[in-house]
Amino acid sequence: MGITCEEVWRDISDYVDDELDPKQRAVLEQHFAECRHCAAVLEGTCNVIRLYRDERALAPPKGFHDRLHERLDQRLSQGSEERIHPSRRAVLAWALAAAAAVPLGFALFSAKRIILPRLGHQSPSGSPDSPAVMGLVAVSEDTDDKVFHIPSCPYLHGKPKFLPVEEAIREGYSPCPICIGKHKPEKKG
Amino acid sequence: MLGSKEDAEDVTQDVLLKALARLHQFRRESAFGTWLIQIAINEARMRKRKLRHGIMFSLTNGADDDGAYVPKDFADWREIPSEALERSEIRESLAKALTLLEEHYRLAFILRDVNELSITETANILGITRGAVKTRLRRARLMLRDILSPGLQQGGQVGLAFKEVRKPWE
Repeated sequence: MGITCEEVWRDISDYVDDELDPKQRAVLEQHFAECRHCAAVLEGTCNVIRLYRDERALAPPKGFHDRLHERLDQRLSQGSEERIHPSRRAVLAWALAAAAAVPLGFALFSAKRIILPRLGHQSPSGSPDSPAVMGLVAVSEDTDDKVFHIPSCPYLHGKPKFLPVEEAIREGYSPCPICIGKHKPEKKG
Repeated sequence: MLGSKEDAEDVTQDVLLKALARLHQFRRESAFGTWLIQIAINEARMRKRKLRHGIMFSLTNGADDDGAYVPKDFADWREIPSEALERSEIRESLAKALTLLEEHYRLAFILRDVNELSITETANILGITRGAVKTRLRRARLMLRDILSPGLQQGGQVGLAFKEVRKPWE
């Protein structure tokens, strides 16, 4: 077969990640075609990855989003009402966007699901089909800055492209410090 | 990472609030998601130390990263319809299987295979080389496959859920 099973197990993860050079890859593929055991290990390994990459695999527990909103509301209400009120939507949008990237026990969950109801009812000007109501953030197609904005941000220049916040973070975009990050809750005392 | 849903949820909330308070410290030297993940990992580690939840049964206790990992099960495991994940016991088994890995294997796996970061991004977050990430990934993936493979009996809790349901996707 040209390669032992032990050598295949050593390289199988790199094979899945396409980290092998073409020659090594061809040797492994030849082995998989001839060895049922190693083919089963490969399929099982791929299945494990497929299972965990499904967002349902490690979904947050029931009520998680509500409890998170409750705690954010509590935190926000600790600051000056006058100062915080105008930024409330922005802070929430940022914090909820951030939730998409938190890799703890829940690993990966949809920020869209969290943002949707909040931006929807806090944006009176938004039509049911507007990007804000749909839980999307905006990035500019005409500039090179890797910043995502609330769709109504005045600092969003050029032609906007709307995408889920989760996808924006994955693509390396950061929250706009003006529309999303400017208004932080005031420190007490 | 914490071995408890309640602790994980609590820490997740803390992370978001801390990140919110520290947003002005974000310097764009790394991707925003990377920055957030680093805060999350640090927070979870601090909580873990505080709670002393670290004493858990692990398949990998004392395992040597460089040692060869020999798969323990060669059952054919080919078809997984996505409907399988609608079942809560399947999701619980997946979560439980992760807790059976040592933290350094679990983190590499979560960042790469759950959060779908690149090997380089994973290496940067964990402060290790790409080679070390690959080594940890290899072991984590093969161990999870063994843990989750139907019919595997490895004493105690390992594979319990899947032993009960036996190839739920068939």
